[in-house]
This record gives sequence, C-alpha cells and structure tokens, in this order.
Amino acid sequence: MTAMSEQELKEVVLRALSGIAPEVDVGSLDPGKDLRDQIDLDSVDFLNFVIGLHKELGVEIPDADVPKFATVNGCVAYLLKRIQ
Amino acid sequence: MRRVIAAAMARSKREIPHYYLAHTVDMSRALDWLAHENAQRPVTKRLLYSVLLLRAVALAVREVPEVNGFWIDGAFKQSEAIHVGVAVSLRQGGLVNPAIHDVDKIGLDELMERMLDLVNRARTGRLRSSEVADGTITVTNLGEQGVEAVYGVIYPPQVALVGCGKIVARPWAVGGMLGIRPTIQISLAADHRVSDGHRGGRFLTALDRLLQEPEKL
Repeated sequence: MTAMSEQELKEVVLRALSGIAPEVDVGSLDPGKDLRDQIDLDSVDFLNFVIGLHKELGVEIPDADVPKFATVNGCVAYLLKRIQ
Repeated sequence: MRRVIAAAMARSKREIPHYYLAHTVDMSRALDWLAHENAQRPVTKRLLYSVLLLRAVALAVREVPEVNGFWIDGAFKQSEAIHVGVAVSLRQGGLVNPAIHDVDKIGLDELMERMLDLVNRARTGRLRSSEVADGTITVTNLGEQGVEAVYGVIYPPQVALVGCGKIVARPWAVGGMLGIRPTIQISLAADHRVSDGHRGGRFLTALDRLLQEPEKL
C-alpha cells in the first residue's frame, strides 16, 4: 500500500459511507461529529462501512479498534497511522 | 411504501387475534462468547449479536413449530422451511421485511454474510421481490433505536413475530446472589387462532435456553 494523504483518506472514508448510505450527502457531514448522530447507521451498516474500508485499503481493523471509527476524523486518523 | 405497510398492518390488526408474551433474557454468556470470537476474527468474518438472535429463533421454532407458517383460507399451514424475515427500517422512512432462507440449517458465519448482504441491499433498493414474500416468521430488533421492549404487529399471512429490545444492564439474581447482567427483553406476538400462551411460553423459554449456550448455535 502506497502512502496516502489525509485528504485522500478522507475521500476513501466518504466513498465507503456513500456505498452504505447513497441517499446521504456525505460532503455535508461534520467530520468531528459522531457518524451515528448524523446518519441513521445501525450496527449492520457500521460493520459494512468498516468492511468497505478494510477491502479498499487492505488494513486489518481489530474489533477493539472499531470505536475509533465513530467520526470521519477518527477514521482518517486511525487509517493514517495504520497505512504509514 | 407507507400505503403498503398501512394495508398490511391494518389487515393484521383486523384479522389476527394477537396475543403477546415477553421474557427477559440474561445475555452475558452470549455477549462474552461473541466478544471472545470477534477478538480472533478478521473484520470480514465478525459476528453481530443479532445473528445469535436469528439463529436461536430458528432453532426455537423447531421446538415450537406452531409459530412458523401461514394462516391461509381459514387454516394454518405450517412451514417445514424456516425462513426468518428480518424487519429492516429504511433511512428514507418505511420498512421492508426480507427473509433469510433456512436459518435453522446454516451456520453463524453464513447467516452473518447473508444478513449483511440482505440489509445492505434492502437499504440501497436492490432487493429481489421474492425475498420480501418468503418469510415464515419475522424478527424485529429495535434495540438500536433505544427501546427496551417491542410488541410487534404480525406480518400477514405469517402467524408470529419476535421482537427484541436493547441490551440493558439489570440487577439479576443467580444462586441467591445479586449481580448486574446485560439483558434483553424478547417478546412474542402470535396468532391465537394457531397457538396459545402455553406454546408461546415454550417458544420463549427455548429461545432463552439456546442463548445460554451460544457456542452451540
């Protein structure tokens, strides 16, 4: 995996969210706010979202780390550390 | 969609004499087992606790088959197959009830794969019409919406619906000792033309017993 910029990772995260909730304008999400408060995501959606990121980036995401994906910023920060 | 739901639910309440039972289940063994399993699994193979519920419902149905099937032309037609309908709420509003086939015959991993696929397709408008009509019993889990108990409306011509609330930490006495346990309230809405409280109670206690041995699901 080649290194990705923070902006590129954010685009990957938003694209994965679009795959789960195509009706949502992901560009309007507040990256610092809890995703579940902004989009009606349940545990199935959330797992599909994390699986989407894993498949796109090849990063293994332990179950204990999933809470770090609560916000867009949290996802980007976690993934940035894991792929560099 | 709202009109379709309204027609089905109005028919259900008009034609089906519902009875309701509820049972609180200690989920500590199921959740401990799940956490241990998931800690060893890659993300693509992880399990959600709702698959334990679906699988336990299917196995409990084997013991109390009067809750599985259809009321058609004035008579109960029991279904040999156990196709569990999963009530999926849509973000735009509304509800669909696609079924996972033969839940009693597949393992947790396959059930998990099918559930993720089904819910994802339901919410992105890619369900096949046959999937929406195949359920022989329905499970609705509103725990993530924050409710503690669900008393559902049976989806006709089915004859039963299982409702699950959220996981709540409750004081729980075991062997004369009081502790705090994660619990859920599971309800059964069933058609009194087909079964009665005695059999419905057997179904819920079977469900509880099955959830106490998650490694066997």
